[in-house]
Amino acid sequence: MSKRSARWLLNELSGLVTDGVLDEATAEKLRARYQVADADSGARLAVMICAVFGALLIGAGVILLLAHNWEHLGRPARTVIAIFPLLVSQGLAGWVLVRKGESTAWREGSATMLALALAAAIALVDQTYHTGDDLESFLWRWSLLLAPLPWLLNSSSVAIIFLTSLTWWAGAARVDHLEVIWLWPLALAVVPHVVAVLRSDRRGLRAANLQWACAVFLCVAAGLGLEWRVPGLWILVYCGLFALMIAGGAAIRRDEEGLWRRPFEFVGVAGSLVLWLILSFDEPWRNIGWQHIHDNDRFHQAASLFDVVLAVGLPLAALAVVALILDRKRHSLQMFWVASVPLVAVVWPWVASGDTLDAKYVTALAFNILLLGVGIATIAYGVRGQNLGTVNLGMVVIAALVVVRFFDADLGFVAKGLAFILVGVGFLIANVIMSKRLRSAQRETP
Amino acid sequence: MTGKKLRFALFILLAVIQLAVAAGAIIRSEISLRSGEVFRFKLQPVDPVDAFRGRYVALRFAVDRAPVAEGTPPLRQQKIFVPLVVDDEGFTIFGSVVLEEPESGAYLRLRSGGQFDDENGRPVVSLALPFQRYYMTEELAKEVDRSMWRRGQRPAWVTVRVRNGTGVIEDLFVDGQPVREWLADGGAEQPPAPVPTTEP
Repeated sequence: MSKRSARWLLNELSGLVTDGVLDEATAEKLRARYQVADADSGARLAVMICAVFGALLIGAGVILLLAHNWEHLGRPARTVIAIFPLLVSQGLAGWVLVRKGESTAWREGSATMLALALAAAIALVDQTYHTGDDLESFLWRWSLLLAPLPWLLNSSSVAIIFLTSLTWWAGAARVDHLEVIWLWPLALAVVPHVVAVLRSDRRGLRAANLQWACAVFLCVAAGLGLEWRVPGLWILVYCGLFALMIAGGAAIRRDEEGLWRRPFEFVGVAGSLVLWLILSFDEPWRNIGWQHIHDNDRFHQAASLFDVVLAVGLPLAALAVVALILDRKRHSLQMFWVASVPLVAVVWPWVASGDTLDAKYVTALAFNILLLGVGIATIAYGVRGQNLGTVNLGMVVIAALVVVRFFDADLGFVAKGLAFILVGVGFLIANVIMSKRLRSAQRETP
Repeated sequence: MTGKKLRFALFILLAVIQLAVAAGAIIRSEISLRSGEVFRFKLQPVDPVDAFRGRYVALRFAVDRAPVAEGTPPLRQQKIFVPLVVDDEGFTIFGSVVLEEPESGAYLRLRSGGQFDDENGRPVVSLALPFQRYYMTEELAKEVDRSMWRRGQRPAWVTVRVRNGTGVIEDLFVDGQPVREWLADGGAEQPPAPVPTTEP
């Protein structure tokens, strides 16, 4: 039982005894059982954190020591130094898998150690023989050999190390104009582990951390993994991705509270806000679409095709989740936050067709209206539910929009001034209407 | 087979692959170093740092492209074989790229970069040579970098042992001396030596 559920049960006990549902003896037994579990789970968590950080620091220290390059040791000795830590960590991880499979601390610690020993072995062989090319070649080989470990050893820390190494590789390969399409199939290697953790301990620390790693990875990888052959396709990909994170995050959530336990929704909302602010300028809408396709053989055919799959698939998936899984009443806030998907579905082809010059200005204006609308809707939703966090989110949206437009150099001062006054008057009118309603409501309930 | 047993078997398989990758790189390099033919590649060095593998001298080769014979289909990041030819000064230059493994003579198995026309309008392909780094202890690598650029750039090259298409760096030479001897003799304080033109 999770800590949260145990705490709820402990709080309920006295009420249950008073109502005669439980007798005092049973309540006492339950109290003893779950209070112990509570204290115990804290200690276990601390042991796991110590194991992971211990392994991480020792492994990193070994890598640094090897990086010094002890060239006077000679090739045979250095070969032994490269292979020995790897063999020991493999032995330890294998032993843990067979004997200590139930202990999260042992599993996470030994797996982390193995991941770093592997890096040290590859690095030292490269160093000894001056082989192994650039950093991206190193990261690629490391990622490939790490890929099955998260699932095999049931280790979330290795999953996070793997995703980091893979993202780093994609970034380094991008800089050198290399093909990164293998990013996606390789990243799928963490999926079985994520599913297993979500099934076994949805509310635990590991599940939260893993979801954070996945959310941030998807955010960065969507940019790195794109071939960028059709200008502007990224708009569709990111609108779809963030909408899917918001809708999907809400759909898989049970009753997790707090931002830390809802990483997909957090990253989706933060990402949407930044994306919409960027799209509220006309600059990103210039020269987009098939008419401006880059046509030289630097681009990979399959990767370009995959961009299109993402650009169509992600928004559709987001809409599918909204239509099929989300509950319209309970998730009305999420409905507002995926509004950019139908909007881009209409405006992107319109701007890309390039018929009229005004299309990009109208589209930028549409995103201003979207930000204002979603901001107001979020505030209203927060006010209705008495949720201060949601009210603040809505205010952040509107404040960000105001700041960006205030300093927008492309607009004339008169136009900006008038627009600000108009929106300000709108807020004041809303204020008057609401206070009237409040007064009449107070009169009706003496 | 139960889930746990299967998982353990797969883990053993992965562990063997991990070891094989590391050991394979060692064995390949050792074979080339022990029985490969020696070639000298002229270069221009500088010195950055790699977080995982320590300090190294980044090797920039004076010749980093190879001619493409008439009738070869356009090359685009694919496996190629590049024959090695020794010029009058004793340095290595590249022969015309071929797509099949040569039956005789030394060659390197490489991945081609982009194909383009050189200054004379002849098709050439850029090469990503697999030995672009010479790892040294942190102090030495910094010293090499400092010394190389003082009093003008020094003539430098690497000797590479080549066997069955695999090349492994043997040593880095500056001013005609192995780099460690050159540093021990005072590095850049010595007057630059003429480039020797004998065979390695």
